[in-house]
Amino acid sequence: MASKIETEKKYIPDMAQKEIDQLNKSIKSASIKVIEDNIERMKKSWKNRPKIMEYFDEISNFFGRRKKEIRKQKKDGKKIIGYSCIFAPIELILAAEAIPVRIGSGWYDTAKLGDRIMPVEICPVIRSTVGAKMVNLSPYLELTDAIVIPLTCDGRTKLSEILSDYKPIWHMNPPRVKDDPHTLKMWKEEMLLIKEKIENLTGNKITRKKLKAAIETLQQATKAFRRLQDLRKGPPVINGRDAMLVNQTSLWDNIERWTQKVNELCDELEKRVEQKQYSSFPETPRVMVTGTPMLWPDSWKVPNLIEESIPQGVIVVDEQCSGDRILYDPVGVDEWTMSDMLDAISERYLMACTCPCFTSEHGNEDRINWIIDRIKEYKVDGVIYYVVRGCILYAMEYARIKKVLDNLGIPVYYLDTEYTREDVGQMKTRIEAFLEMLEARIDV
Amino acid sequence: MRTNIMVISAGVDMGTQRVKVAILKDKKIIAKSQQFIGFDPTKAAEKALKEALESANLSRKDLQHITATGAGVNMAAFADSTISMMGADARAGVYFFPLAKTVIDIGAEDARAVKCDEKGIMLDFVVNARCAAGAGTFIEAMARALEVEMNDMGLLSLKAERASPINASCVIFAESDVVSLIHREEPKSEIARAIFDAMTERVSSMVHRLGINPDIVLVGGVAKDIGFVTSLKRRLGMEILIPEEPMFAGAVGAALVAAKRARRRK
Repeated sequence: MASKIETEKKYIPDMAQKEIDQLNKSIKSASIKVIEDNIERMKKSWKNRPKIMEYFDEISNFFGRRKKEIRKQKKDGKKIIGYSCIFAPIELILAAEAIPVRIGSGWYDTAKLGDRIMPVEICPVIRSTVGAKMVNLSPYLELTDAIVIPLTCDGRTKLSEILSDYKPIWHMNPPRVKDDPHTLKMWKEEMLLIKEKIENLTGNKITRKKLKAAIETLQQATKAFRRLQDLRKGPPVINGRDAMLVNQTSLWDNIERWTQKVNELCDELEKRVEQKQYSSFPETPRVMVTGTPMLWPDSWKVPNLIEESIPQGVIVVDEQCSGDRILYDPVGVDEWTMSDMLDAISERYLMACTCPCFTSEHGNEDRINWIIDRIKEYKVDGVIYYVVRGCILYAMEYARIKKVLDNLGIPVYYLDTEYTREDVGQMKTRIEAFLEMLEARIDV
Repeated sequence: MRTNIMVISAGVDMGTQRVKVAILKDKKIIAKSQQFIGFDPTKAAEKALKEALESANLSRKDLQHITATGAGVNMAAFADSTISMMGADARAGVYFFPLAKTVIDIGAEDARAVKCDEKGIMLDFVVNARCAAGAGTFIEAMARALEVEMNDMGLLSLKAERASPINASCVIFAESDVVSLIHREEPKSEIARAIFDAMTERVSSMVHRLGINPDIVLVGGVAKDIGFVTSLKRRLGMEILIPEEPMFAGAVGAALVAAKRARRRK
């Protein structure tokens, strides 16, 4: 039921077109600079960076090739479906011949615009995403026909309302406890509702054949992703930042082409393993990052500092929905019937997820176990627990994770930051001290 | 034998207000000096180093290794290597007091606590976040609000019978709290104590995050403030060890690291 007083824009303040255009222009040019600077820094840190990485550099530019491709496909009648978080079922979007793009923002400058609506205490990922929309900065967000917003945290819950000033919003209501008997049933209902919405928007029926093809496409992507991840388990043949960029571009690239390029990259890296051609010294402290998503491009702040620090660190694995969590789990299907496939999709998006929005009798045990397993597999020396101010769920779960890591004897550092470039000095001091500590432990 | 080689090394601590230099000869402090940072930190550091060398009757080429630390570490271009402030604190804490397990360093604008092992290797650390309310500058700002000399704040606070609570999450908020206490005509001594109690509340919560591991060593310029030290002891409920010249801890820690690195290169 609608409220009694409806205004045209429920959240967004009136802004003159001239101001919007000016801000768009200045933030866009600053953002392109940040992208170029990040790529430059990644190249500098990895002397013999393989040529194939240039493909991912190109796709990482929000205002380049991929934007043109999506725009053209939209003109040709395809629907663009945005999503705010990786609970959104990509297989269903692909099966309806629509194009999925993630819309969370990693731009620092637009967080300041979000401040016009929300207090600064609110998570900057949310403030920045809203700010980006206020000045039409994100080409992908602009091109969307609808946006799937799973209500995982408080920030995203209200983000859905704010963005509804501009776009049709489709909520998904994930349960917070995985193992109650009714939760999977409820989540499956959510899936069926989303499926129907996707079909209505696109006018394409999701058939058994199309869904099977979509699941198989993503299974191939997972296979390529895991191949790359396996390469990060030994002495470093790829820097963490480069692997993170590869993984993150899967959120907006054509997934089939992405898979092919990742396999090409792996071909090259596997050769380097044999030739012992490492991207940094084999003794470099091995770091895991976990916590708030680190979104391209501005949130490369911390990864840049870790891998450029003296002593240097290499990020060998992350536990973030902006990285190693995106494609880690395939949809596992027993029988290729429609109902089995939908069951498998529902299970994969709920059960495999380690988001801190979950809890249980044993806490968010899947996340805890995920971290413990990866520490062993990737021979992690230390964990950087990364939280942006206002990211309440990750911040609150820290104390529990720290206890677990203390018991394992794995050092962990709580690095809290903001969507700002001004604290780089402070961040650097802390990261250097942490890596120095890890290095001293390796020396002993 | 590596240990028989005589090593002369220097540590340079580029603080936010002062640069401190310590020269060690076979792990003994043989010279110290300090300078205000001013507008040319590199020049200040060179001057401090020169003074220390003169007082030890040494020249630059006698130094086998120089290690720099501190917030302005990049400005000490002449140093051979660097060490983090927390790493230097841990070394120095154990150097001064071999049983040290926790080193608290309160400087002008930073407060930090470091957990260390018996060799002075840092095991964990906590830094105060984005605000000087737990550090020396806070005392300075509050002294201004009370119209007393900064160095008199400590003794003044000892005269208080109780403390009025103030908010120390931020220097600016604290200042407005202090102003309202002044308007309520609270005695200056009680306000002074409230200021130290507010600071040590922040510092002790940092220490608690590392776990309480005695012996606890306090270093940094603020360790000389009797008001701060009394309040911190009261809050932690245990003895705190303070070296004779606590503001040189960072420089001494860096010099110890320099000595180790010089030895390793031989």
